[in-house]
Amino acid sequence: MVIVMEKHAAETNIERVMAELITRGFDVHRSTGSDQTVLGVVGNVETIDPREFELFDGVQEVVRISEPYKLSSRTFRREKTIVKVRGVEIGGTDVVVMAGPCTIESETQVFETARRVGRAGARVLRGGAYKPRTSPYAFQGMGIEGLKLLRAAADENRMATVSEVMEISQIEGMLPYVDILQVGARNMQNFNLLTALGQTRRPVLLKRGMSATIQEWLLAAEYIMTGGNYDVILCERGIRTFETYTRNTLDISAIPVIEKLSHLPIIADPSHAVGRRDKVMPLARAIVAAGADGVLIEVHHDPDKAVCDGPQSLYPDQFARLMDELRIIVPAVGRRL
Amino acid sequence: MNPIDAQREIDRIRDAIDRVDEVIVRLLNQRAKYAIEIGEIKGILGLPIYAPEREKDVLHHVEKACEGPLDGPSMRRLFERIIDESRRVQREAAAANEQRTTENR
Repeated sequence: MVIVMEKHAAETNIERVMAELITRGFDVHRSTGSDQTVLGVVGNVETIDPREFELFDGVQEVVRISEPYKLSSRTFRREKTIVKVRGVEIGGTDVVVMAGPCTIESETQVFETARRVGRAGARVLRGGAYKPRTSPYAFQGMGIEGLKLLRAAADENRMATVSEVMEISQIEGMLPYVDILQVGARNMQNFNLLTALGQTRRPVLLKRGMSATIQEWLLAAEYIMTGGNYDVILCERGIRTFETYTRNTLDISAIPVIEKLSHLPIIADPSHAVGRRDKVMPLARAIVAAGADGVLIEVHHDPDKAVCDGPQSLYPDQFARLMDELRIIVPAVGRRL
Repeated sequence: MNPIDAQREIDRIRDAIDRVDEVIVRLLNQRAKYAIEIGEIKGILGLPIYAPEREKDVLHHVEKACEGPLDGPSMRRLFERIIDESRRVQREAAAANEQRTTENR
């Protein structure tokens, strides 16, 4: 940590800051410039709240050099994490496409959609059984019965499964059916849930909260990883901005930023970001071109009759066309599909 | 001066620098030993490690003693680092002594 003193700060002010630091057991490297003094603080600086020192007279700025997240950072682990699930490698050379309906509604719907997306090249089948709906009167999901259908449909098409876990009590029951446990944007900072998922040895797909900074997102991943579960997949899904035309603004820049800051696989969900079918395909292309390790897309065999998020679900034919387009893009970024 | 002579001359001076460095290292360690002794006393008496007035005196002293070619401010900057390290060894010595006195009780 570095404390930058104001220009021409009084010597007594500098001494007061130094005395406080030294009393607390830190070592200080003082560097007196011609008009500005900088104090380098050495020791276990994580215990310091920078604001404390910003309140001292004569302090201009307190800068943290080391990142607050550890296990998820590139400094901790240089080589990329590859999450392996049922023969699918997320974070490796392959761009992994995860597709399926927003909500599991019926046997016909899941099997038909799985068949269509599987044939087009999706490796992971998505589908929600517990739905965090904005309104308590909206359809809340099929629960375990839905997950059984998801598992059977995925097995038939040799795919892995991903489904959202809403609360700790659901984890146990989901394990037989779900290969990747998804934490939704609204739960990104549900630290009790994250801690519980850290105790499992099942990959977790952690969506970015809609108002979460990248640092907050990585700290959320840290909650899972400190429990010993290192298989965390990050998923960008759009953030709240002043723009109202699309539901959220997909933060494409988060992809290369995460790639630099963290070794965890990063994928993105264009469907929830824009909330409109016609914008999903161009965004999916951009996601892959930006270097993401995967894409999470909502596809429904009959979107017009979908119970949930129909307008943002692709038709199976559209999805197949999108896969063809992605196959053209992936070699340009050194990947495979 | 031909290139071979020049290289020989540079080597000779660098050799002299190495000898000087050895002396500086020995003297810095001598200085650190004194700092540690003070640290031990501070630890026993529970005195603060940071003594801003003394630090100011040290810097003033070396600046005055400096005859060049390094100027006062550059000598001051060099000694700031020496003082940083002295403070650290004093802190360690004081902590070790505090523990020892606690154990003896």
